[in-house]
Amino acid sequence: MPLKFRVNGVEYSLEVEPHERLCDVLRNRLGLMSVKTGCGVGDCGLCTVLVNGKPVTSCLVLAYRASGSEITTVEALGTEKNLHPLQKAFIDVGAVQCGYCIPAALLVLKHLHDTNPYARREEVRHALRNVLCRCGSYLRFEEAFEQVRGK
Amino acid sequence: MSEEIVERFRQIIEAREFLVVGKKVARVDALDAVLGRPIYTGDLVTGKTLFVKAVRSKLPHALIKGIDTSRARGVKILTHRDIPGVNDAGSLIPDRPLLAVNKVRHIGEAVALVVSESMEDAEDAAENVDVLYDPLPVVKSPREAMSPNAPRIQEERDNVVTHFKIRKGDVERGFRESDIVIERTYRTQFITGLPLEIEIAYSYPDMDGRITCISSMQNLYDVYNKVLKILGLPAEKLRVVQAATGGGFGPKSDETPIDVAAYACLATYHTGRPALAAFTRSEAMTVQCKRHPFEITNMVGASRDGRLLAWRSTLLEDTGAYISKGHLVIGRATFHCTGPYEVPNVWADGYCVLTNNTMAGSTRGFGAPQAHFAAESTMNELAEELGISPLEIREINMLKPGRYTATGQRVEDDGLLRCYRKALEASSFERRLVEYSEYNRSSKSVKKGIGIALLYHGNTLGPEGDDFATVLTYVDRDGTVHVQTGLTEYGTGALTSLVIVTAETLGIPTSRVRLERPDTASIPDSGPTVASRTTVIGGRAALDAALKIRATVASVASKALGVKPEELEFRDGRIQSPGGGYVAWEEAVQQCFEQGIELKALGHYMAPPTRWDPETGQGSPYNQYTYGALVAEVSVDVETGFVRVERLTAAYDVGRAINPLGLETVFQGGSIMGIGYALTEEIVHENGYVLNPDLHSFIIPTSTDSPLEVRSIIVEVPGPMGVFGAKAMGEIPVVLPAAAIAGAVANATGIHIRELPLKPERVLKNLKTQ
Repeated sequence: MPLKFRVNGVEYSLEVEPHERLCDVLRNRLGLMSVKTGCGVGDCGLCTVLVNGKPVTSCLVLAYRASGSEITTVEALGTEKNLHPLQKAFIDVGAVQCGYCIPAALLVLKHLHDTNPYARREEVRHALRNVLCRCGSYLRFEEAFEQVRGK
Repeated sequence: MSEEIVERFRQIIEAREFLVVGKKVARVDALDAVLGRPIYTGDLVTGKTLFVKAVRSKLPHALIKGIDTSRARGVKILTHRDIPGVNDAGSLIPDRPLLAVNKVRHIGEAVALVVSESMEDAEDAAENVDVLYDPLPVVKSPREAMSPNAPRIQEERDNVVTHFKIRKGDVERGFRESDIVIERTYRTQFITGLPLEIEIAYSYPDMDGRITCISSMQNLYDVYNKVLKILGLPAEKLRVVQAATGGGFGPKSDETPIDVAAYACLATYHTGRPALAAFTRSEAMTVQCKRHPFEITNMVGASRDGRLLAWRSTLLEDTGAYISKGHLVIGRATFHCTGPYEVPNVWADGYCVLTNNTMAGSTRGFGAPQAHFAAESTMNELAEELGISPLEIREINMLKPGRYTATGQRVEDDGLLRCYRKALEASSFERRLVEYSEYNRSSKSVKKGIGIALLYHGNTLGPEGDDFATVLTYVDRDGTVHVQTGLTEYGTGALTSLVIVTAETLGIPTSRVRLERPDTASIPDSGPTVASRTTVIGGRAALDAALKIRATVASVASKALGVKPEELEFRDGRIQSPGGGYVAWEEAVQQCFEQGIELKALGHYMAPPTRWDPETGQGSPYNQYTYGALVAEVSVDVETGFVRVERLTAAYDVGRAINPLGLETVFQGGSIMGIGYALTEEIVHENGYVLNPDLHSFIIPTSTDSPLEVRSIIVEVPGPMGVFGAKAMGEIPVVLPAAAIAGAVANATGIHIRELPLKPERVLKNLKTQ
């Protein structure tokens, strides 16, 4: 099936199988390895990407359904020389442990920051609820948002 | 380079004020992580890769009558007959076949492998391999397994694998002399450490005629040595590399990383093609080693004024169908069965028992969370019987300098007392106690409470293995320092500590030190990455290597500066003489290269051997102890049984804070992991079947379950063994939450719940019956 979409600012036109998942297309065809998978049934949130700016668990989306949408992954969030403020905050507050959930946590908080830059603490906690972090960095993620609140 | 100069530099560094140690340093791998750049194993897979899936047992205990592959077409099937070497994958004890031969002993045991062109085909084919079974009776619990006519799980071995003993003083006399004796039984559950990156390994034939296997793991050389034997190859025909690893927590040091690596390598061995073996989440949750369930009965006697006089513990540990690390976990649990208290008379029997449940093995804490939950709950119940407070009973009995542990080891430092005082002070414990009691008088449905738990934790391996580490350090012509070791990073940040130690010793910024990937082709065995030992033991090896490099550079620089090598100071990227002259680090390195002097050193450290008597458990099983105190504040909804952790205050004696930022992260993260163990997590076995191998019915904490605050207090009482006095920390924060939370729930409701997790239905049931 045809899939035309924009990923990290680049237009792609692909032919995909009807059963292919969005996360697999992003990883295996586009090489966007920041998109992780942890369960395949929407429990863990590791495969979160932004679809038209909103966080979506990409393991639950059939790829062809993403036609016409704009997708953002961490690869487009910032660069080594020009980090997104949230990326910088994650480093500064020591949010990284095993690293596996970091792309998902960053995207969830980016969406929150874009739509609600003064989000209250409860709103930050609620937004992060959809990403499991077994290392338990949740309070560090909150602290990172604290650093960029309103900026 | 002389030994003397190395020794002199060691003294200088330990005596002066630290340059990097204890300062705020970002994790060396944090930048890559926030850019989404770390390469985990699954990120390497390319075209032409084969996919390997295991055919898994659908019965918990059965004889295999045959394997019918007629419905699984177009795939390659491998059974135990296709293993060229030894069919054994037991990580320490050779009791576990990689592929079952004539019997399966737990649900999900691997019987055969399917190798196919796609993961989907491999999964389908694995479902279509029909294994014909003859069911056997299922042994469901240690109690059943210990009964005289229980069937043997492993034919050649008794179901009781280990009987671990402590015999100190005269426990019968202690009970006779006691004014009060209580006996209580506590039970803990199976959980899985649940690293979010699932077990995975990728192998390929490399250009040097060997098989290279890249995978997610903690113990590089355990995987290498085991897979080598399974393949029956000479040492140079296999290379194992650790990829970025998305969490360890113990399971990735045990059995399943060996399994996936062997599955992939067997496929590559037989086909000459790259192969990927990866579990699904439910597969991982079924077969990855879990935290051992324990049944612990403590009988404890005390004088009327609260002094402990006698302590008898019986610990039953369910290790599942294969031993994995069960024989060692029971040791750590038994050593710590009295908690951090002095008891003159102790009698303990710890039993590691085989059942037909799935395997338990290493999980962060390694038997200590179970032992401390029981010991600390016992102390609370004893205090209540004596009519004294939970604080008083702890103050009277806690380990202090000059007191003796359950194994008769003399305590040398006051780390525990300091942690206790700090935690009480920071949490305003006594004020909160009054406030909550007032609150509870007027509140009908929600009750608040506060509890405290204390720990001591024997450092690193002690009796659990050879406690050594090696670190290879070498310097490029441009002055970049490379550090490489077989110890692995999987989340704790411990390898950043090795970078810090190196930068400290060489007087250069951490940005000049590069961490290289663990790879059996370039570094020797550095022992396992377990037991919170990387900073403590690995740090010593990193210091040793860096000191050797420093001595070499100093001997060259000293000629240019006209002073003795040992008079040179290394700081701010310069090598300075007392008179003010200096050469830049890069310049000195350049001079070494020009003179053909190699800047490469293998650092080594071996912990002093520990001694204890297996018949009495008496001796010094560990070289040093970490101490800690955790205060938990909870609210309990007495109508629903729901427990919420409002705040935790954690004070841990880390010996020396090598990386304070990293410590805070680990304090908080481990505390949150411990909340899951206390309140919600449980892998349920029913008649040997695992009922909930998925993330919607095995509930780990999310952001909204974490407390609003985890206060992290660093206490530094340097220990005799670790680098710059550091003590073990990686596992420690998960040890106490269950104990402290149970204590807080008891304070809130007046009931002591003796079984984990404290899930709503259990809390409600206890509220009704107690």
